[in-house]
Amino acid sequence: MTFHWHVVWDNLDRFAAGAVVTVELTVLTMALSIPGGLLLAFLRLSPFAAVRAAATAFVELFRSTPLILQIYWVYYVLPTFSEIQFPAFETAVIGLVCNISSYNSETFRAGIVSIRAGQWNAGLALGMSRAQVMARIVLPQAAMRVLPALATTWVSLFKDTSLVSVINVEDLSYQSLKIRTETFTILEVLTAMAAIYWLMGYPQAKLVDWIHRRYKAAE
Amino acid sequence: MDIDLTPLLLRLPFLAKALLMTIELSLFSMVVGLVVGIVVGVARTYGGRIADAILGFYVDTMRSVPLLVVLIWTVFAFPLVFGHAIGTLTAGVLGLGVHLGAYVAETIRAGLTSVRKGQMQAARALGMSRFEAIRKIILPQALVRMLPSLGSLLTFAIKDSAVASVIAVPELMRQSQVVAGQTYHFKEIYTAAMIAYFLLCYPVARGVDRIYRRVAHLGSS
Repeated sequence: MTFHWHVVWDNLDRFAAGAVVTVELTVLTMALSIPGGLLLAFLRLSPFAAVRAAATAFVELFRSTPLILQIYWVYYVLPTFSEIQFPAFETAVIGLVCNISSYNSETFRAGIVSIRAGQWNAGLALGMSRAQVMARIVLPQAAMRVLPALATTWVSLFKDTSLVSVINVEDLSYQSLKIRTETFTILEVLTAMAAIYWLMGYPQAKLVDWIHRRYKAAE
Repeated sequence: MDIDLTPLLLRLPFLAKALLMTIELSLFSMVVGLVVGIVVGVARTYGGRIADAILGFYVDTMRSVPLLVVLIWTVFAFPLVFGHAIGTLTAGVLGLGVHLGAYVAETIRAGLTSVRKGQMQAARALGMSRFEAIRKIILPQALVRMLPSLGSLLTFAIKDSAVASVIAVPELMRQSQVVAGQTYHFKEIYTAAMIAYFLLCYPVARGVDRIYRRVAHLGSS
């Protein structure tokens, strides 16, 4: 069995371009999903039952269906409702943001609920409005507690971005599979793809472990 | 916007078969994941430093490489390395199971370490071997505590099985793509698939919650 590792070296620029898109997708999605998750969490704590029900339905739908199907759905079905066809990259970001926001909202909600009622009472007794108590007392304390869960979501997001290759977003997995098809060097290209993901993902997984140890919830 | 359900209804038996395949695929991969995960989790907790380091490398690798990559690597590279081809279903079950196993192992490890040391000491003082103590005292308590996490891993197994569509396992995601491509009724087919997956995952998540509420007291010591 002869190997053609030079194929990997010859196409290094394309692997790198794909890796950049993967990182862009991860960072952009998380940047949008933190406000998105907060919004959903607030809606689920709303005093209006209809608002709560709608937000809950959204979150449960995105948490109970496969991401790959959500991406297909946003790509093929959403345009038939809105008459707007987004480019593939934007479509991928929309799908990922809906999915990750739903997971984040559960994290945030748990964080907000975990702050003792006494903190609310004390804030209100000092003459703050509910919004002020939320912004100045509850959220800062909740932020530390949700950090480990957010970090875990971050790594699964990084891995899940690979699924957008099915709608031809040119991320690392799309580029790798294309190079494989063009050069017929299966083992070398697939191993390089796995190795690049590993090199990027492994330090992140280790960082998450450290964050879990460092910021473990303690009253 | 007009909705035409005829193509969906005509291909319903085809899609129902695919749904069965999805259930089969997720259950098989959950079984593989549980076997791998329990062995790795127990070995990492009680097996000493070397076992912990080696198996930790496996767990962290699966946590850092996308499932898509694991599946594609299994189906295409496996035959080149080991000399003989495997079917897509086998590759799907193996890839999904080995990926899931890492997450099960982490859950098992967390559950085992959550059982207080005194339990092991008491079991040993009563004359049990370490293996016996793990099997009869530690693991039963830990399993109850892990139930919520294991339940959510089962819903992950169902959702992740859709990724096996990329390696052409004839499960619901893949067959929906096939039907959508043949009929051009993407809207109806993909929405139906969405509903089917939801009806599969949501009751599992809620059901596990209910079972846990009933047995939670068995896990406290």
